[in-house]
This record gives sequence, structure tokens and C-alpha cells, in this order.
Amino acid sequence: MTLIRLSGVSKVYRSLQGSDHIALHDLDLAIDAGEFFCLLGTSGCGKTTVLNMLAGFEQTSAGRIEVSGRAIAGPGADRGVVFQGDDSLYPWLTALGNVEFGLRMRRVARRERQERARHYIAMVGLTGQEHKHPAELSGGMKQRIQIARVLANEPDILLMDEPFGALDAQTRSVMQQELGRIWRATGKTVLFITHDIDEAVALATRIGVMYAGPASRIKATIDNRLEPHERDRTNDGFIALFRQVHGLIREEVAAATQRGAETTVHA
Amino acid sequence: MRDALSRVAGYALGFASLFLIWHVAAVWVVHSVLFPPPAQVIAKAISLAEEGVLEQQIAISMQRIMIGFLAGSAIGIPVGLAIGSFRPVRLLLEPYTEFFRFIPATAMITVAVIWFGIGEGSKIFLIIYTTVFIVILNTAAGVSAVTPNKIRAARCLGANRTQVFMFVALPATVPYILTGMRLAMGNSFVTIIAAELVAANAGLGKMIWDARLYMLVDQIFVALLTLGLLGFVTDRLFRLAIYTFAGRFSPVV
Repeated sequence: MTLIRLSGVSKVYRSLQGSDHIALHDLDLAIDAGEFFCLLGTSGCGKTTVLNMLAGFEQTSAGRIEVSGRAIAGPGADRGVVFQGDDSLYPWLTALGNVEFGLRMRRVARRERQERARHYIAMVGLTGQEHKHPAELSGGMKQRIQIARVLANEPDILLMDEPFGALDAQTRSVMQQELGRIWRATGKTVLFITHDIDEAVALATRIGVMYAGPASRIKATIDNRLEPHERDRTNDGFIALFRQVHGLIREEVAAATQRGAETTVHA
Repeated sequence: MRDALSRVAGYALGFASLFLIWHVAAVWVVHSVLFPPPAQVIAKAISLAEEGVLEQQIAISMQRIMIGFLAGSAIGIPVGLAIGSFRPVRLLLEPYTEFFRFIPATAMITVAVIWFGIGEGSKIFLIIYTTVFIVILNTAAGVSAVTPNKIRAARCLGANRTQVFMFVALPATVPYILTGMRLAMGNSFVTIIAAELVAANAGLGKMIWDARLYMLVDQIFVALLTLGLLGFVTDRLFRLAIYTFAGRFSPVV
């Protein structure tokens, strides 16, 4: 069942000099309920723009975005966002205060919201850290808090914008496994933005590769039917899928590099 | 605990060296009735305190500062929040803040005395004046320094606009408000003494002015010492308040 549908979506940014930058042009994408969809693309291809529009932070210039058949109007609690950096956490609140924030805004009684917050803090493996402030937590822990904060709000859709991009390789790998486990436990629909092929193959049920910008759209989508135990960098299936995705994105990386070089020459 | 002890010890040592240098300079270097040594100043302070004069002047000056400072902050915080939150308000009020903040409170003393007389009115007006703009500017800066992702996160966690303001923008701005108030407190000390020197019937500034007339140099030094200590204690209390309310994430301390 299609949960998210983007049809003919374009996004144009108007620059101060009056020259328009077309970030996305005529992008179509449909994501089913329960999918873990990884949107993969080179930097600057507009993948974050897709997420921002779906979250309701930005408006489309043309086209239509629907969730459960209804056009979205601004941000909503049905779509939880996990940001790349930690600047979305509230430093004046404890870990618990951050996780229960959404429930507090929606006037859930204290006892119930704390119970639910603790449940999700346990799910991300941070029991015992409830009363620490973000400044006292490591980068990986802060991302866990962000994930718990979104889960505690029980949205239908999780939008994740390179959530592990700022973490070291070791922590990132642990977080990927944890997220896979949490996704299997909760059955949420996930749109996960990344530029890391490994990450996409490790996590996704389907991978969408984007053209290098400008005027980007989806180049191809690939199903990922690997079992959890096969999602290992040394597994043959994993390597085969990695090759396939890499083949698709290689030209786009070249195009992006070329474009970067041209921009440099013009500048 | 250990940290607090070492801090107290550091301060004690620092102050002791200040008095030692003062003593050496006064007794062995300068030898002048115009530069009394610390022992003489402290003796004078004790005798003024026993007469009740010192406490009275302190109370008068501090009361003026506190009333003006609290009133100025009470005006400055909401105005700063409004300027930071709403662009039309900013455009409307920026001419005021950007114009008046370059006219120092000391330049307004004469006008204040003409308008509000030599008593409390003019002093409180001046302290409000010196407080309000710096609090406005810091508060407004704090509001615009809230990272967009904090607001976005709140919106997609289900917060409405009022809740975003109450539970995100406001707490995120608290450290900036407190910093503005701390700076304003420093300015208030400058302003109150200047105002009391020029035109007043009482206060620490008046005490300095009177002492000058009768060449009571040690009394001038008592007033200076008192100001230094009052400022030090007030600022420490402020830092304590900032730390208590915002310490874990404050960019200030």
C-alpha cells in the first residue's frame, strides 16, 4: 500500500542575483508502508530538499506530495524527523525531557509520557542516562536520543537526513545495526537519506539512486532483499548489490565532480 | 567541593596580593596623604560603618540600581523578544534602539535632573535608560540565534506556534537575556556613580563628592573600595544565577 507519493515534484530556488537554481525537476517516487527506503545521491543532488519538502519545512515549486492520499500542509507529528547534527536537541532539557518533548506538547499526562519516553530510551539502549543533558552525551548517544525522541511521538513515518553522517566509522556501524533492529521491531516506514552506498545496502529494503543535480530526479530504484544476517560487508549478496548500486552512482559522481570543476573555473 | 575550595583560595590570594601591592605602594613608594594605605582606609570604613553612614549610602545607591535595573529588564526582555521574533517590530523599533544606544546614560544626566529632579526619579530613570537597550539587544540577538533545526524539530513533534515560542525560543534565549542583564548591571554601577557625583542628595557618588570638598581622601577610598566589592559580589551572584538556570549549556560561563 502506497503511503508516500511524490508526483512531478520540482523545486526551484531563486537566488539574489535573479538566476534560478533548479534543484529538482519532475521527480516521481512512491514508498509503501513499512518500507525502509534509502535515497542515495551525491552531495548537492537535492536529496535533503526531498526530505525537507516531505517534512513540510519547504514547499514544492510544482508537483504534489501526498501522505496516505492527502496533500501535506506543513510539518506534522505523523512525520518525525531525525536531523544530521545535534543542534535540534534541546540543551536545557535532560535526555528524558528531550524524548518526552513531543508528548508534552500534545498534552499527554506526565506519568504516561515518562513511561513511554523511558520505553524508547531503553529501546535505543540509553537506560540510566535519562537525567543527563545533551552536552554530557557523546555524538552517538545524542543521535540515539534524537531517534528515541521521534519514536516516542509514534509517527507513521521516520524521515532521517544522514543521521549518522557526523559519527565516526565504529559508532556509525553500531548505530546502523541498532536502527535495523529498531525498524524491524517497530515496523515504521522510513525514508533515509545518505550518500554512503554501504549504509544504504546495510539498511534499505529499497534504494533510490538520484541523478547528480541540478534538475535532479530518481535515476533508478533497486530492491534489496538481503536477509538481516546477509547484511554484512563480506557477504557475496551484499557485495553484488553494492556493485550494482555503485555502477549506477559512479557516473553521477563523475558528473558532480565535473560540474564542481566547471563552477570553480567560472568562479 | 575541592573545586570550590581552590576557587575560594585563589580569590583570597588574589585579593590579599591586591591589598599587599596597595600597602607597599602607599607606605614605601608614594608617601602622600593623597594616597592612604589599606589599613587606614579599612579603619575609616569601620568608623563610618559604626556611625551608620556607610550602610546608609550603600543602601541608597543599591536601591536605585535595583529598582532601575529590574524595571529596565522588565521592559527590555519583552521588547527584545518581540524584536527578535517579528520582523515588522524589528524594523519599527530598530531606529530607537540603534539611535539611543549611542547616547550614553551619562550624557542624559542633565536632562534627567531637569525632568525628574535631584532625587530618586532622575537616578531610576538613568538606570532604566542604561539597562533597557543592552537587554533589548542581547535578547533580540538570542532569539535570532536559535538554530532553525530546534524549531523544525518542535514543529514535527507536534508543537504549535505558541508552544514553539514558549518551550523552544524562550528557553534557548535565557542565557542571552542573562548576559544582557549582567552587562547592564555593570553599566548601572557606572551610571549611578556618575549621576550621584553630578547631582544627588545621597549615595556613594555623593559621598565621594562630599569627601572631595573636605579633602577626606580616606573617605573617597572607602567609597571606591565599597564599589569594587559591591560590583564583585553582584557579578558573582549573577554568574551563579546564570550557572543555576543555564549552566549546562550556557555559552557565557
